[in-house]
Amino acid sequence: MFHIIGEKINGTREQVHEAIVGRDAAQIRSLAARQVEAGAHWIDVNAGTRPDREPDDLRWLVETVQSAVDVPLCLDSANPAALAAALAVTRDVPLINSITGEARRLDGVLPLARDHGCPLIALALDDSGIPTGTKERLAVIGHLLAATRAAGIPDERVFIDPLVMAVATSRGAGLIALDTITAVRADFSRVHITVGLSNVSFGLPARRLVNRTFLTLAVAAGLDTAILDPLDRELTATLRATEVLLGRDRHCLAYTRAYRSGLLDPFTPAASSAKSVTS
Amino acid sequence: MSDALVEAIADMRDEEAISLAQRLLDGGTPPLDVLEDCRAAMTIVGRRFEDREYFIPELILAGETLRSISEIVKPRLTGSGRGAKSGRIVLGTVQGDIHDIGKDIVSFMLDVNGFEVFDLGVDVPPESFVESVRETRSGIVALSGFLTLSFDSMRETVDALEKAGLRAGVKVMIGGGTVDDNVREYARADAYGATATDAVNLARRWTAEAAGKAPAQPATARTKETAK
Repeated sequence: MFHIIGEKINGTREQVHEAIVGRDAAQIRSLAARQVEAGAHWIDVNAGTRPDREPDDLRWLVETVQSAVDVPLCLDSANPAALAAALAVTRDVPLINSITGEARRLDGVLPLARDHGCPLIALALDDSGIPTGTKERLAVIGHLLAATRAAGIPDERVFIDPLVMAVATSRGAGLIALDTITAVRADFSRVHITVGLSNVSFGLPARRLVNRTFLTLAVAAGLDTAILDPLDRELTATLRATEVLLGRDRHCLAYTRAYRSGLLDPFTPAASSAKSVTS
Repeated sequence: MSDALVEAIADMRDEEAISLAQRLLDGGTPPLDVLEDCRAAMTIVGRRFEDREYFIPELILAGETLRSISEIVKPRLTGSGRGAKSGRIVLGTVQGDIHDIGKDIVSFMLDVNGFEVFDLGVDVPPESFVESVRETRSGIVALSGFLTLSFDSMRETVDALEKAGLRAGVKVMIGGGTVDDNVREYARADAYGATATDAVNLARRWTAEAAGKAPAQPATARTKETAK
């Protein structure tokens, strides 16, 4: 089953930044609860503050979110000190977001993931930057998996992120990501594959349309998790339809249940006829 | 001025714009006039981008068209040189960060507004900034970064400029997704900007100040500078 990592609690968003700095627990709790109600399996927490205060901020985020929801967290930071501070207070084993093939990131974060038994997201880039083509990305992913295996982390705890670039700035970005997902699925059957979904549409108008269309293509290629906005109801409804079409929803039960709960409303006649008079 | 050229560039008819530029030059139009048309067109593109009529793909295509036309113009430029540039700026995404889109937009907007921009790319180590400032004798350094990791790199870059004895001669601006006045203080930069327009306004003001003139245009309210 596809797993959603809710992206909303991210300090790079202005409102969330203010809530973090002002310690507005009610707002963070509400953001967490709404995402879980909408179907998020993990809640991503990103403090996005400067390194000297990030440990405190991330720990506060973890405690605040945990007071509102029961799902595990995804600790979104490259700062080992912030990750360590957050790991000290997490209730369930969190997902660590993320490592890369860069020596600095590997050395700082991999030991933490190993010692705490955490699954972790591994981004397909290394000290020489983001690899341009599919082949180069696969080489970096191969090195990353060698490093996680050497640290004793089994493949099923590794979430490979092929890195989706914006199609607005590079026309081949969508295809490269899809080809990489297909190849990773074929070569490493036990790993999870994830993406930060919204990056693909950066710089384009009507971004949500681009996001959900890309999600459908990526799930077909083998994507099984994504960091996305669970409050985007068209997006989550599209995801449910995709699972039906790929034969992953037995007897379409999850789909019809979602319909009865109103989760498919954006696409049902009842919702549209409420706005327009039908004969 | 050729309205046809300005419109062709601004309306994304790239092939037409390039052949039109070629025809104008062949017909005796001074190369600097063609460059002036490019400048006028880019101002329109920049405005449409700010108005959300154009998006990043249009910025990129306009940049490519501009580059192609410059290639045709360059060999025809005599010793008179290019149009007067109003100031030199070294710019890049700091070490450990590879986000380039915001940095590219700032680079584009500064260039369109007449600054000579030395774009060092992404994941730029502090020593490269130092080297470039020394080589180009630029008075402004613009540091971009999106990851929280980049705040440390910004600070290290400012430190490196200090150690090299260059800090007093340059103004440093920082920008990127989460950059605010706290980060500015942490990195010991002179100012931060939230948008590409902020970067242009800061650069204008600093250049005017360096030239001992009154600021050409006040900085926007979103731009914060250290009180000295």
